[in-house]
Formats: sequence, structure tokens, C-alpha cells
Amino acid sequence: MDAVALKSISFAYQATTAAALSVPDLRIPQGQRVALIGASGAGKSTLMRLLDGRLRGWQGRARVLDQELDPTRRPPRAWRRQVGFIFQSYALVERLDLHANVLNGRLGHISPWASLTGRFSPRDHQIAHAALAEVGLADLAGRRVDRLSGGQRQRVAIARCLAQEPAMILADEPISSLDPETAATVLQLLQAIVRQRGATLILSSHQPQLIAPHVDRFIAMDAGRIVFDGRPADLDEERLAAIYKGASDVRAA
Amino acid sequence: MSAPRDYEGIRRSAFGSFVTWAVVAAVLIWAAADPELELSRLAESGPRIVEFLGRMVPPDLSVLSVAWASTAETLRIAILGTVGCIVLSIGFGILGAQNLTPAWVHVPVKALLAVIRGIPLILVAMLMVGAVGLGALPGILAIAFHATGMLAKFYSEAIESIAPEPVEALESAGASFVQRMRFGAWPQIAPDILRDTLFRFEMNLRESLILGIVGAGGIGFYIQTYVRSFQYDKVATLALVVIAIIVMIELVNNALRRRLR
Repeated sequence: MDAVALKSISFAYQATTAAALSVPDLRIPQGQRVALIGASGAGKSTLMRLLDGRLRGWQGRARVLDQELDPTRRPPRAWRRQVGFIFQSYALVERLDLHANVLNGRLGHISPWASLTGRFSPRDHQIAHAALAEVGLADLAGRRVDRLSGGQRQRVAIARCLAQEPAMILADEPISSLDPETAATVLQLLQAIVRQRGATLILSSHQPQLIAPHVDRFIAMDAGRIVFDGRPADLDEERLAAIYKGASDVRAA
Repeated sequence: MSAPRDYEGIRRSAFGSFVTWAVVAAVLIWAAADPELELSRLAESGPRIVEFLGRMVPPDLSVLSVAWASTAETLRIAILGTVGCIVLSIGFGILGAQNLTPAWVHVPVKALLAVIRGIPLILVAMLMVGAVGLGALPGILAIAFHATGMLAKFYSEAIESIAPEPVEALESAGASFVQRMRFGAWPQIAPDILRDTLFRFEMNLRESLILGIVGAGGIGFYIQTYVRSFQYDKVATLALVVIAIIVMIELVNNALRRRLR
């Protein structure tokens, strides 16, 4: 079963500009770990926003986790909670503590009106606590996020994503603001999580060498198009250099 | 060689600063040159001031019950006026936030708020007394109207400071609109909103003391009455009660505000 099936996708931010995304065909099987690479502006983030159901106004057919996406409307809550998104800038509520931020990952599971009081069920608290423990931050549960380091913040964001109990995790440059050592920890964590749950992982990065050991497949983009799609082993120095120079003829054999 | 040009520049700026100071001096001289204003009277009136202050002691405690009752009314005016300005400010704060409304909405709303801030409270109170008659009601309405000029601006600025990413993250996690506001947006600004509101309440309380002078309720009426009839010992009692209330509210507010970060 494919987690992602895209057909004849095209998208432009303005009618007059060139396509920000142009993907004739893309399939990603459930459980696969995929790295998206390419220069800034190549369309990685746009593709991820599409897969997360947050992009509007695209054309083509997109089927993600058994849901046909509609380019004109936000997908249902029950679908959105299955797709976890990890942001480059962490996207945490800085003034709340770690536990509250991770609990926010449960919002897709609970009744909108019942949650207004801010009271979560014991089970939600348990799940949030377990998620924080999984990223190794259970001891800091009561600390405010604005007192954490970048690496700790990204681990909290991962814990929030875990609390969603997602079938697919999208990570948009999750390690680009982290030092190499912390980046490696975060990558290992993500890999362990998707392995254990059989979840699909799609992550974008500018550090192909660093993420190569953690993924099954590389997809390189340039000007909204897929210019390489293959195993990490097939991506040699020459091809990498070409991708980042913006060459569009480096398709895998 | 650029030396002569530099020298020109320095000379010109020195001349500019001479002009600035000359204008400031001229304005000050004009202000003080009023023939009606005799500064010598200040020196002569030393003994009178001493005598005047002397008449305030001992404070006449017989008006204590009047003082408490009318201070309570002032406090009520300040509280209800604050509630009113909170309600108005939520509406105008949202309309005036440039990340929520288009320019043809938030620009006029912000201009309107600036105009409201420009109208002195005492003038608003006089108009309200004219409109609804004497008592606490015009005072409450005046405070609510006047304070909205500032509080709605603060609310708009708080709303504009909301980072969109955490809200978007909750959308991605499956949160409904109401949940995104409650758990993504509100916690980002709650401490600022509460701090601004407490600050405005304190200002409302201090400003509402004078409302009685124009018949809009509260302790101001009695202060004015006793001052006009030269009963300074009674004025002293009222002043002490006012000071006690203000200091108390400020202490409570400061304690609360320290917890809002």
C-alpha cells in the first residue's frame, strides 16, 4: 500500500510565475524513509505542505494515507492527526511548558469543545508523558520551552508529533539549525520512531551525507521537479554537485 | 581633498543646533512672560501654604464613612469601566490587528483609536453626563470609551505579535479553529493581555477619581465640595482614603504582574 501517490501535480504561487511544483508521478510505500534534497527554493517545502494538506490551489491528483486530497479545502481532523509535521523552526508555543506543548499533539484526537477548558483525559496525559520520555526529556516536563536549547526544542517538537500517533511523519529541515552532534541524535531518534511504528518518514535536508545512513531513498528536486530518485548508494559526489548547481539532467538510470 | 567639505558640515550642524536652542529659549521666554504670572507670589505665599497645610491636620474623621462609600463607588466605576473597555477592546483589538484584517479595516480602526486617545477623559465624562444624567453610569461609560483608545491598541499589538508557526503546527496536528486559538494563539499572548489589562485598570482607577467633579460619580464630588468650602480637614481624610486604596491596588497589581511573563 502506498502512503503517498501523486499524479500530474502542478502548482505555482502566482499564475504568472514558473511552477513551484511539477510532479508527474510519485509513489512512496508505507514505512519507507525518504530524504528530500535540493537547493533552497527547489520545492521541497511546497511538496511537504501539499502532503500535509496545507497547500491550496494545486492541480492534479494526490492520495495520501488513503485520503484523496482536495486542493480547495483543509482535510478532515481525523486525517490531519495521522500526519505529523516537524518544523525547522520547531513551531512550539514558547510560553508553555514541555508537557503542555506535547499535549497539543493530542488536540486532533479530542472533542474541540470539551478541550476548551484545557482539561485533557488521563490517557492523553499518559501519552504525552510517554512521548516526552521517548525523546529523553521527561525530567524537564514542567519547564517552559523558551528556556530550552535548539536541540531540546526539536526533541519536544518530535514528542508533540509522537503524541499525535501519526502514520506518517513529515520533517521539514529538522536538523538545519542544530549542531552536527545534536543533529545526529535527532536523526537517530526519528529513525527509531518510524521503525518501531512502521510509519513513513519524509524529511528534507541540506545535509545529504549526514542523513544518508538513516533513509532508504533519496529524492532530489530542482525548480519544482524531481531530478533524482534512487537509493542513497546511487547518489555519488558528482550527482550531488549537479543537483546543488541546479542541473536538471541527473535522473537516475 | 574633502577636508573643507567636512568642515562645512560641522559648521552647518553647529548652526542648526544654535537655531534649535534659540527656538526653545524663545518659547520658554514667551511662556513665562505672561504679565498675569507673578512668580514673586510663590515666594510671598510661603506662610499661606504652611497655614493651608496646617488646616488639614488633624484630618476630620467624621467623614470617614462618606469617604469609604464614595471611594467604593469610584472603585466600582473603575471596575465596570474596565470591564466595558475590555469588551470594546476585544472587538477593536481584533479589527485593528494587521495580521487579521485587511488594510481598509485595520488602518481606519487604528486611526479611530488614536482619536479616542486624544479626547481627554474629563471631556468625555462631561458629554456622558449630558447624555445620561448624573451618577455612576456616565462615569462608567466615559471610562469604558476613553480607555478603549489605549487598551484596544495594546490588544492589537499583542495579536500582531502572535507567531503563526505554532498555530499552523496545531492545524497540522488536527486541531480545530477554536482549538488553534485556545492552545496555539492565546498562550502566546495571555500574559501580555492580562498585564496590559491590569495596567489599564490601575490607570482607570486613578483617572476615575476626578470624575465626580463633573458629576459622573465617585469620591471626586466630595473632594471638590470640601475644597470649595475650605474644609481642608475633611479633604485630608478623603485624600488618605484615596491614597490607601491606590497603594493597595498597586501592590496587588504588582504582585500579579510579576507572575505574568
